[in-house]
Amino acid sequence: MTRLLLGLCFGAYLGFGGPSVLSAQGGSYDESALRLEGHQGDLRIVRGLDGTVVAHIGGLRTPDVSTLVSPSEKAIAEAKIFSHDYGPGSWIAAAGIVAIGAGIGVYQMHDVERSIPTGLTIGGAALIVYGANRVQNAYNALARSLWWYNRDLKK
Amino acid sequence: MAKVFIALVMSAAVMVSGASAAAQSAESDAPRVAKGAAGSAVGAAMRAETTADSTHSYDAGALRFETRWGNVSILRGSSNTLIGTAGWFRDPGLEQMLSSSPRALREVRGYETQNFRGSLAGGAGALATAVGIVVAANGSNDASSPILVIAGVSGMIWGAQHLSMSYAALSRALWWYNRDLSR
Repeated sequence: MTRLLLGLCFGAYLGFGGPSVLSAQGGSYDESALRLEGHQGDLRIVRGLDGTVVAHIGGLRTPDVSTLVSPSEKAIAEAKIFSHDYGPGSWIAAAGIVAIGAGIGVYQMHDVERSIPTGLTIGGAALIVYGANRVQNAYNALARSLWWYNRDLKK
Repeated sequence: MAKVFIALVMSAAVMVSGASAAAQSAESDAPRVAKGAAGSAVGAAMRAETTADSTHSYDAGALRFETRWGNVSILRGSSNTLIGTAGWFRDPGLEQMLSSSPRALREVRGYETQNFRGSLAGGAGALATAVGIVVAANGSNDASSPILVIAGVSGMIWGAQHLSMSYAALSRALWWYNRDLSR
């Protein structure tokens, strides 16, 4: 029973925010080269000819890409830029969505001054644009990181 | 949900650049016809260049792409040389660029198909949404504005999905192209 509980806890840990990165392995380009792929709104890092999924990127969770690309120094440097920008960018964009939602909600209240929902909507849109820009920078750093990682693989 | 919102906002933001790109393309049609002969010479030069690409090392010739508000920049080598910009009805000649690798060529055709569908649906969706909002703002009480907004947002979501699929195909195409480079 205890084992079952431990198993369930571990499964839940993996399912809700646990490490979503499989550690990197050395090898040839065909076996180990990484690339980014999108699938149903979920961004994935896949490896090799067979396209094994080694990491998921999505929502507010930031995978540890540095570990994945660890043999390559330049790849690690770019992975750190990704980690630096992705998390804050996602949170800021999410805050913007909440602000716009609040703005729409307040707009329905007739006894509230109109400047409040307008301010919330404009502020929310600005947060979304700023957050999306940081997420975009993060994705570009991730693409550079994978490029450098693949460069250091054998043919 | 957050990603869908970000995709919608990004789609709306790049609509302006997409429209200007389309206008630019229409404006440049006439000179393009006039420069037909020169264009074929440039095409031959590009083909020669892409053939030479397969003999380049990874450092000098490997490609990758970066996105900037709906535009896709194709970059080459460790020096980050910009060799073309794709996106929203714009084609930087990817088929010619990647012609040395058959698998890359197959993937890039998938990218072009998905990118066209995504751009078209996203653009039409953004337009329908904007019209719906304008109609609603003018105090119209009929059913057209919610229908336009719902249809527009649906079009933008469908378009964003296809754009995402197109980026996946482009990623695979460049992966295959880089695989065939010498090291």
